This record gives sequence, structure tokens and C-alpha cells, in this order.
Amino acid sequence: MHILILLLYILLLFTVVMLHVAYATYFERKIIGHMQVRMGPMEVGWHGLLQPIADGIKCFFKEDIIPENVDPLGFRLAPVVSLTAMVASLAVLPFAPGWVLADIDIGLLFVFAMSGLAGYGVILAGWASNSKFSFLGGLRSMAQVISYEIALGLSLVGVMLLSGSLNLSTIVEAQGGTFGGMYIFPQFIAFGVFFVAMLAETNRVPFDLPEAEAELVSGYSTEYSGMRYAIFFMAEYVGMLVMSSLGTICFFGGWSGPFAVPYFPALWFVLKVYAFMFVFIWIRATMPRYRYDQLMELGWKWLIPLALANIVLTAVCKALF
Amino acid sequence: MQIQYKKKRNLLQNLFLSELVQGMWLTLRRLFTKPITLQYPHEQPNVRRGFRGQHALVRDPETHTTRCVGCMKCVMVCPSRCIRIRIQKRPEHGNRRFISAYHIDALRCVYCGYCAEVCPVNAIILTEVFAYSAFDRKSLSYDMPQLLDNWDRYLAEQGEDLAQYVNPTWRPRGLPEGPMPAGKRLPVPDDWKGKGQVVGRLWRQSVQGQNR
Ligand code: SF4
Ligand code: SF4
Repeated sequence: MHILILLLYILLLFTVVMLHVAYATYFERKIIGHMQVRMGPMEVGWHGLLQPIADGIKCFFKEDIIPENVDPLGFRLAPVVSLTAMVASLAVLPFAPGWVLADIDIGLLFVFAMSGLAGYGVILAGWASNSKFSFLGGLRSMAQVISYEIALGLSLVGVMLLSGSLNLSTIVEAQGGTFGGMYIFPQFIAFGVFFVAMLAETNRVPFDLPEAEAELVSGYSTEYSGMRYAIFFMAEYVGMLVMSSLGTICFFGGWSGPFAVPYFPALWFVLKVYAFMFVFIWIRATMPRYRYDQLMELGWKWLIPLALANIVLTAVCKALF
Repeated sequence: MQIQYKKKRNLLQNLFLSELVQGMWLTLRRLFTKPITLQYPHEQPNVRRGFRGQHALVRDPETHTTRCVGCMKCVMVCPSRCIRIRIQKRPEHGNRRFISAYHIDALRCVYCGYCAEVCPVNAIILTEVFAYSAFDRKSLSYDMPQLLDNWDRYLAEQGEDLAQYVNPTWRPRGLPEGPMPAGKRLPVPDDWKGKGQVVGRLWRQSVQGQNR
């Protein structure tokens, strides 16, 4: 019985997240469109509201093309690895008090592990595609994920120190549910590092080097089409969602808001995540892409030392006060 | 010429990424402006007189055929060489040229408007019609009857009288009148010629309200 209810929850969460992913693409196209004084999708449904559904159906019914010279196993496996890893990290995210699939004590580590694993999907895709563009995209992604994973992990150590736990629900509760209690204030350096590393981790502009259209056609997903491509796409958006949720939980007090909302306690959480997503998209509409060596320099010479300094600072403060 | 570079940023501006903030602020402001997109099949663009679109040969109300005198100027000036004219002389009419064929290959045309500008008798014109695609190449290579028909259709659509009609492809705005052939010195409003001419940005502003 317990298992059945859990399965039901999983199904519910998966459906809701996938719908969110679909509409995140709509949201993104609309916002970028309006920022560029265009309109974005307008034709399917009222103001293009059904566009994501149409896109999904289109991708689903496209011919499944596997180029001749690819490594078939790796080629098939890569999108699945990406998506599974990303979706798995949803399990530990607390959306509201008690609204969490697996309330485990290593929640934060689990999210890191899974987002690191998602990088494998990209690398595998680049390797298995047997094409120079995919390969270069995969290599870049590998270097990027490795260097920014460190900064991302280190930036959250301060949060761990303050809350004394790796359990995400506990981290939210440790922030006390007040405005002043949010960790963004004591941990503003960590938030800066986290934010930049988060953009790089999800391969978003200005760190979208693995799929730089201008140089690499479409990077690691060059050889993919139809549903497999869509799966990569979904993985990217789920990744955005996960990272936004992580930022919300660790720095902005998770589900707590100015007043409690009856029946839907996750409202504040969702609003905060949407705000994060908006910033993601806003940055995409504005920033040019980083050069590769600059990216590495930023990661190793600035973010990691900053995150380390922040850990020392936090630890000293915590020991003194 | 002096190039105006941006001032060098100081340490504080660098630290707080002032340039990035400026860029972000710009895009955020744009988010709340009205999009300039024209939803084409649902909304029709407001095409003004002087737009260089489909070709037509003006039908002379008296002779019911073209006014072209076969001077071949348009053929010579056409940069994409898409006009072909065949002329003949009939002994009983002396030196007068008769047009026996007039072809324009609209697929090769670059819509520069030189043919209409150079024509001394205003025989050829680029009309404002722009939506005339077809399913094969042949139907976009116009011969003389088709070009004359284009004109009839266009004139009926515009509801104008040829006697008062003047098109900027014949007599571009702001050209001095002196060197023009007599046929091109058409009566035009003051803002087309001499000191009073309004071109470029001023023209765009001046016609904004007038629906043309
Ligand atoms: S508009 Fe230009 S290219 Fe077209 S027919 Fe006239 S002269 Fe030739
Ligand atoms: S320039 Fe005018 S008159 Fe001369 S051949 Fe061309 S259309 Fe005829």
C-alpha cells in the first residue's frame, strides 16, 4: 500500500514537473521575444498557449534517426542518463512542509551527485555521436561541469555550516521562516558564487559553451533529432528547475513566505522558483557568451577561491558568535 | 573623426558589474514595450506609394496598349538583365517602333526600380502589390498582356485616375526637374521636389498619420 501511494506521488510529481518544463519553454520564448521587441509564439491557441503541446507532439512523432557511424548503445543511452539523473534529484526537494518524496539526510549531496551524473549524459552524447562538433561540445561540457561542480559544492558549504544539516527540509526550517532569517544575507558571497556556478552547471547562457550554436552547430546534441533531442531539452529545463529550487531552498527560505497559504503551502516556493527561472531567461536574453579560457579562469581563479574564503569566514564567525 | 570611447570603469564599477547591470536594465525595459511584429497574414502591412513591388505596364487609355516607345533604356539599365523587348518597324509607319514582345522575369528582378525611373514615357511601373507568389517559374515570367493586366488590376484596386496618377518609382522624390525628359516632369506635390522636398526620416514622419 505504502509503495502504491509513493508511486502515485512519483507519478504526480513527474507529471507536474514535465508540464512545468513544457511551459518553461513557452515562458522563455515569450519573454525573450518581448525583450527583443518581438512577440514569440502567437499562432497555436490563444497567444500561442498550446505551442509547447504542439512541439511535444511533433517531437514525439518524428522519425527516429540514428546516424550510421555513431556508437548505438552510447547514443541511445546518453539522453536517458541526462534526464534520469536530473529527474532523480527532484525526489529530495521539499516543496512545502512534508511535501517531499524522500526526506533523506544527505539531500544536498544527492542533488550534487545527480547533477554531476547528468554531465555524463552530455559527455556520452558527445563521445558516442562520432562527430567533431558533438565531441568538442562534450569535451567542453566535461571541463565545465568538473570545474563548476567544485565551486557549486563549496559555495553551499557555508549554508551547511549555518544550518548544521544536509537535509534540505532542515535547511529551510533553520532559516526560521522570517525575512531576515534567509541565508542570502549572511551568505551573500556564497550566493554570488552559487548563482554563477548554477548558470554554468545547467549550461545556460552566458556559459552555454557545450552547445554554442555559433561555433559548434548545436554542440553535443548536433546528431540528435526528434524525441531524443527533446529529452536533452527536457533534461536542461529540469536542471534549471532543480537548480532554481536549490537556490530557493538554500538562500531564500524555501516554502516560507509572508503569510501561510491555505491548501497550497508550496505557493511561495513556486513563486520563488519562477523568479529564479525568470532571471535565467532574462540573462539569456541579455548576455553574450563567455570565451572558453575566460570561463575556466572565472571558475578556477575567482569562484573557487571566493567560495573557500567564504567557508573560512563563515566557520570563524560561527565559532566566535 | 574622433572616436568616442566609453569612459574607463573604476574599481567599484568593475566589482559591481555595472556594465552587466546596464545591459540587464535595457532588456528589462524592452520587455514592457510594444512589440513591432506584424502578424502578417492576419494583419496587412501599410504599404505606401513608392514601394517597389510587382511590375506593370501602364495601359494607355487611348490606344489600349502600352505607352512604351521601345527606347530600350530599361533593358540597358536593368542590373539583373531580366527585361527582354522585341521591337519591329513597319514600313508604312516610317521610323516608329512597335513593341511585339515585352518580357519581365520577376524571379530575377531585384526590385531596384531603375527601369521605371529611367523610362522616358513612364510606361513601366513598380506597383505596391507584393503578394504574388506562384507555384511554378513560368507564371512569374510576365509577358506584355499580363503586365498590362497587372496595371488594370492595380489601378482598379487603388481607385485612381491615370490623369492624376504619379508614382515615386517614375519620378523619385527630390530629383531636380531640369535634366528630366519632358514626360517625367509630372505635376507633383511640393514636398517631392526642390527645397520643399521631404525625404528619409522626415518623409516617414510626415506620412505617419496619412494612411498611404
Ligand atoms: S526593378 Fe531593377 S531588376 Fe527589376 S526589372 Fe526593373 S531594372 Fe530590372
Ligand atoms: S524605358 Fe520605357 S519606353 Fe523605353 S523600352 Fe523601357 S519601357 Fe519602353
